Amino acid sequence: MKLAKLTAASVALSMAVTAYAGGTHGGGHGHGASSGEPGKASEVTRTIAVRMYDNYYEPEEISVKPGETIRFVVENKGKLVHEFNIGTPDMHEAHQKEMQMMVEHGVIQGNKLNHDMMNMDMGHGHSMKHDDPNSVLLEPGQSQEVIWKFADKGNIEFACNVPGHYQSGMYGDVTFE
Amino acid sequence: MNIRLGALLLGLMVPGLLLAGEYSLTVDRVTIDTGEFVKEGIGYNGKSPGPVLRFKEGETARISVTNNLDEMTSIHWHGLILPFDQDGVPGISFPGIKPGETFTYEFPIQQAGTYWFHSHSGFQEPDGAYGAIIIEPKEREPFRYDREYVIQLTDKHPHSGDRIMRNLKMMPDYYNRQQQTIGEFFSDASSQGFWRTLEDRLAWGSMRMMKADVEDVQGFTGLINGKGPEQNWTGLFEPGERIRLRFINSSAMTYFDIRIPGLDMTVVQADGNNVQPVTVDEFRIGVAETYDVIVRPRDHQAYTIFAESMGRSGYARATLAPEDGMEAAVPQLREPARLTMADMSGMDHGDMAGMDHSNMEDMGHSQMEGVDHSSMEGMDHSGMAGMDHGDMMMPKGGASDPFYAKGSGLLPTAANGGKFLSYADLKAQDPLYEDREPTREIELRLTGNMERYTWSINGVKYEDADPIRLKYGERVRFKFVNETMMTHPMHLHGMWSILDVGADQWNPIKHTVSVNPGTTVYIETEVDEPGQWAFHCHLSYHAAAGMFRKVIVEGGPDANQAKADVVTKEGGEV
Repeated sequence: MKLAKLTAASVALSMAVTAYAGGTHGGGHGHGASSGEPGKASEVTRTIAVRMYDNYYEPEEISVKPGETIRFVVENKGKLVHEFNIGTPDMHEAHQKEMQMMVEHGVIQGNKLNHDMMNMDMGHGHSMKHDDPNSVLLEPGQSQEVIWKFADKGNIEFACNVPGHYQSGMYGDVTFE
Repeated sequence: MNIRLGALLLGLMVPGLLLAGEYSLTVDRVTIDTGEFVKEGIGYNGKSPGPVLRFKEGETARISVTNNLDEMTSIHWHGLILPFDQDGVPGISFPGIKPGETFTYEFPIQQAGTYWFHSHSGFQEPDGAYGAIIIEPKEREPFRYDREYVIQLTDKHPHSGDRIMRNLKMMPDYYNRQQQTIGEFFSDASSQGFWRTLEDRLAWGSMRMMKADVEDVQGFTGLINGKGPEQNWTGLFEPGERIRLRFINSSAMTYFDIRIPGLDMTVVQADGNNVQPVTVDEFRIGVAETYDVIVRPRDHQAYTIFAESMGRSGYARATLAPEDGMEAAVPQLREPARLTMADMSGMDHGDMAGMDHSNMEDMGHSQMEGVDHSSMEGMDHSGMAGMDHGDMMMPKGGASDPFYAKGSGLLPTAANGGKFLSYADLKAQDPLYEDREPTREIELRLTGNMERYTWSINGVKYEDADPIRLKYGERVRFKFVNETMMTHPMHLHGMWSILDVGADQWNPIKHTVSVNPGTTVYIETEVDEPGQWAFHCHLSYHAAAGMFRKVIVEGGPDANQAKADVVTKEGGEV
């Protein structure tokens, strides 16, 4: 977890990041609040196209089988930067604090990303790279894949945690068949 | 009164029934009960506020307005882009609506969002003649919600608008209850020294201003959707729902600081236009502005919508609750804001050294009474020109906002220490116009003399001023320089004000732009609507006192100019 360990980061934020990391990668450790784990390309059973607009997804709901591995082809068709992130509401809430910091530091600038800033060494081996396997952060026009193996069940949403976007409704529900 | 329900079907069978986009309004004498006082006023279809008018982008609005008053009336559709002769300003757009007559407005709806309407005649608007407009967009909204409520604020005063204006003209501090008292003078004198305190009061007096001039009309009851604090307008919700609240400030004079303790608010629209969502704990809504926010109460409990006036002399209150009758704690009003020397930094300080002390006795400032005037003659006036303005009064907490003078006493901070919305946070979600260089700049100094209650632009009041002439197709940059100590919500009719927040192509578009004391604010306008338009401070009594201009757009795609000339000749009140 390299994201957002800035000098400005408080202890509280570090804790949030830790909790978030636990949630994201804890699929194999039996945590109840898990959303799943990074999937293997060889186990993909379906491909779902997700289009990101300002500020909403199409589709706004997807249905998966417990434990299913899905390839998401995510395309940003809007004019602003958007994220596609799979997680529980609590994980999204924690991640929103990090994204707020990325905005405050000029990493996310409305319609573009400052890649130099993202890759900059923040000391202690940290940077503001947004490279978690459960999410992609895309500029307008960009497209990228996420392969995700879902947990067996859980309260899971896909969401854009760019500040204000989730709150104004840029999320979708994952329902289990 | 939404008559669109089944209108398409029924309209074929029942002749005379109103169709989509059609409304019929009557302008009536009504009774307004605030819970604190009952007052005769003016409303629409028998009520104040009037009905919520709903339209859909792309349809044609057809609104018949019947004047049941014994005086002229008019309705202005605040923020709507429409042909100028439908804009409803007597003497500029049309002659007005005579008693007993019906005028039918007709215009295409070419935008979406939250707006409002009000009379543009005399003081009918402060007397209650206002209502809300909701326009549903053609395309889907860039946000989602489960339910929505209009939250329309006003500052209902027990005095009629005419009476308030008479009193202000006679005694500008008539409604200023928070002016500094002689007791405050002596307590300041003991802490800051007599001469220092006296100099401070003299400095303010020479500018014909008082530190407490944040609100020049106090003594109102804040209403939300026509309900006073005790009447407690309540909107219901199911926990977990997202609720869109459409805040509209229809006050005559009052800015409100709005918060909902326990909920953060994601601002998604300002003045009807989508903005990139920004989540805040509190925001200030200027007179005539609108803000749409999305809130998500998760718990089975009531939440108070608390709207505290900027000067802290009053408040409006409403409730969001899962069940009718539930309510939450109502916060106390915070300490009144006091203007600081920073707020008058836009004023002409040269006057201070050369102030005419001979007129001090008729300044009408009560804090002077009881002061031993004989001692003033001996004081060293020369010190005033060199006063250190910086250390007068600084807001606590080091908060800053580029849209307030540095050190301003008006700078808002959130009650919970969190995020307070700034204009600098407003970025267009999907810019309407291409960004381009303005063709020219027009400076508008906002000016006034509090002692005589005159308000003007560039020192000239409306009745003495030439119109501002713009050319169709140009992009004009307006420079507002506020040389007074009050905040002025400047409203240009008919065309958007592109507010310069330093975000270039992402600068938001608004219909009303607040200019704080001691600040300079820029807007740009794409001059894309022919005809003639009103441009004024939206504080009712400032507009009436002369902070008002007519804007004439010359040229255009058709021969609107001839039509405009006819309207001008017919005249009428503004």
